[in-house]
Amino acid sequence: MPTPDSSPTLLSAQVTVRYPGKAPVLQGISLDIARGEVVGLVGQSGSGKSTLALAILGLLGRQRAIVEGKIVFQGTDLLTLRERELRSLRGRALSLVLQSPLASLNPALEIGTQLREAWRAHSERAATSDDCDRAIQSSLKNVSLPCGGNDRDFLRKRASQLSVGQAQRVLIAMAILHRPALLIADEATSALDVITQSEILELFARLNRETGMSILYISHDLPSVAGICQRIAILHEGEIVESGTVEQIFTAPAHEYTRRLMQALPQLPVQREVLLARAHAVTLD
Amino acid sequence: MNLARKLACVVVVFVCAVSLAANWLAPVGYAKQFREAPGAPPSHEHWLGTDEVGRDRFARVLYGTRISLLLAPAAALVSTLLAALVGGLAGYLGGIWLRLARGFTDLFLSLPWLFLLITVRAVLPLNVSPLTSVLITFLILGLLGWAAAARVLSTSADALRNSDFVLQARASGLHGPRLFLIHVLPNLKPVLYAQFWISIPVFILSEANLGILGLGVAEPLPSWGSLLRELEGLMSFREEPWRLVPLVLLIVVMTSFQMLLSKEEVTA
Repeated sequence: MPTPDSSPTLLSAQVTVRYPGKAPVLQGISLDIARGEVVGLVGQSGSGKSTLALAILGLLGRQRAIVEGKIVFQGTDLLTLRERELRSLRGRALSLVLQSPLASLNPALEIGTQLREAWRAHSERAATSDDCDRAIQSSLKNVSLPCGGNDRDFLRKRASQLSVGQAQRVLIAMAILHRPALLIADEATSALDVITQSEILELFARLNRETGMSILYISHDLPSVAGICQRIAILHEGEIVESGTVEQIFTAPAHEYTRRLMQALPQLPVQREVLLARAHAVTLD
Repeated sequence: MNLARKLACVVVVFVCAVSLAANWLAPVGYAKQFREAPGAPPSHEHWLGTDEVGRDRFARVLYGTRISLLLAPAAALVSTLLAALVGGLAGYLGGIWLRLARGFTDLFLSLPWLFLLITVRAVLPLNVSPLTSVLITFLILGLLGWAAAARVLSTSADALRNSDFVLQARASGLHGPRLFLIHVLPNLKPVLYAQFWISIPVFILSEANLGILGLGVAEPLPSWGSLLRELEGLMSFREEPWRLVPLVLLIVVMTSFQMLLSKEEVTA
């Protein structure tokens, strides 16, 4: 069982991922996340963002991927851990929120059942159903979903009865049930409309402020990344080509691909200025 | 539900209800011989006449229907459970397990079903009590009829294994049998139901085939198979049309089952 350390770096990954007989999906990428930090990982579709998320969680094995290098989390190299040890971290210290909220919830199960199962995966033997209910209610409250009292009907709903925004909040509630040190949000707002996206981004920022949880925010959408991240890493064709503060990336992009990303942003009259102002505000925080 | 399916539903429920009420509707029983009237035509006492040894044909049709209609769903239940175990687990585990299961089911499916059924039944003891013969027929159908359903279930479970919600559950720390039972199996239920209903008419026909060949339910217990066997000696349909009742009943019930199944279930 890995023991937590107290160094300021929560996660340090130097990793190459490849599939047998194919070119590497991730080529010697290096990514550090400090405790309490929100890091954005930006790249186009197919650049290897989700592969990195799954590699950190140790969920690539079943796809026969070869993961080389080191992924040090809380002082322990995750790549040296056995499956059982990794399982004890998944959902407890490392959590994942996926892109499609409705597809990520089991259509055959009630929301309450799914939350209870996620809680039981790491609950102590002596824990009671009251403990479970309390944890779920606290988690739902954190994501501004109905909880307790007359709102218990919400837990009896199924994914098909929720809006996309509600489903994403349920997934986030599930991910923070055990107060993980690192939350990986893999394109967690890509499938949402602009207003819901903004609400979920605010939720991530609040969770980060209130719980000190680190977040690896994976997205291809630069404006949303600028909204909550302190640092950004740009992933291109399996390599991190540039990394820096939000302001650095937005004001002085060094790599050609990053410059192309900036140029590709929608050219609304005030958009660039708003983003720069937002980036500046995040850097000052 | 359209009119045809409603009608089919009524027919199946009616036939099942009547067969279950055989004790009241035909109190003479299926085995009692009226030695003074063998091969008698329909009469007030014997609505469908009597067979060659004087047994009431109406009673035998009712009891035979009951046995066939109970035997087929029971065998379908066994085969569906086996299919869930083999196909569902193989699909969930994936990799070598899935390839092995698919290879095995493909091999099984490549054997002619009726030929396999007759061969297996023929190598088992034939001189057994009627109850044992029912048990053997039920087990043979159940234990040999799972392959097609397992093939379908393995594909469904394979798709579920790679679904977002299973990935999310694994990322939450769930694993092993609990992940299968809680997250995968409930999503296989529609496929399991479809496979169960599809198997019933197949097993009814299979039992009838075994019965015609004398390999099904043993005398004096009747079943649709053994009742159809009587048609061997039929000289003229026109002279003894009542002897066709078991055949007509089989066709009506089989058609009703087919109409009850939706297109999606049949093609699943």
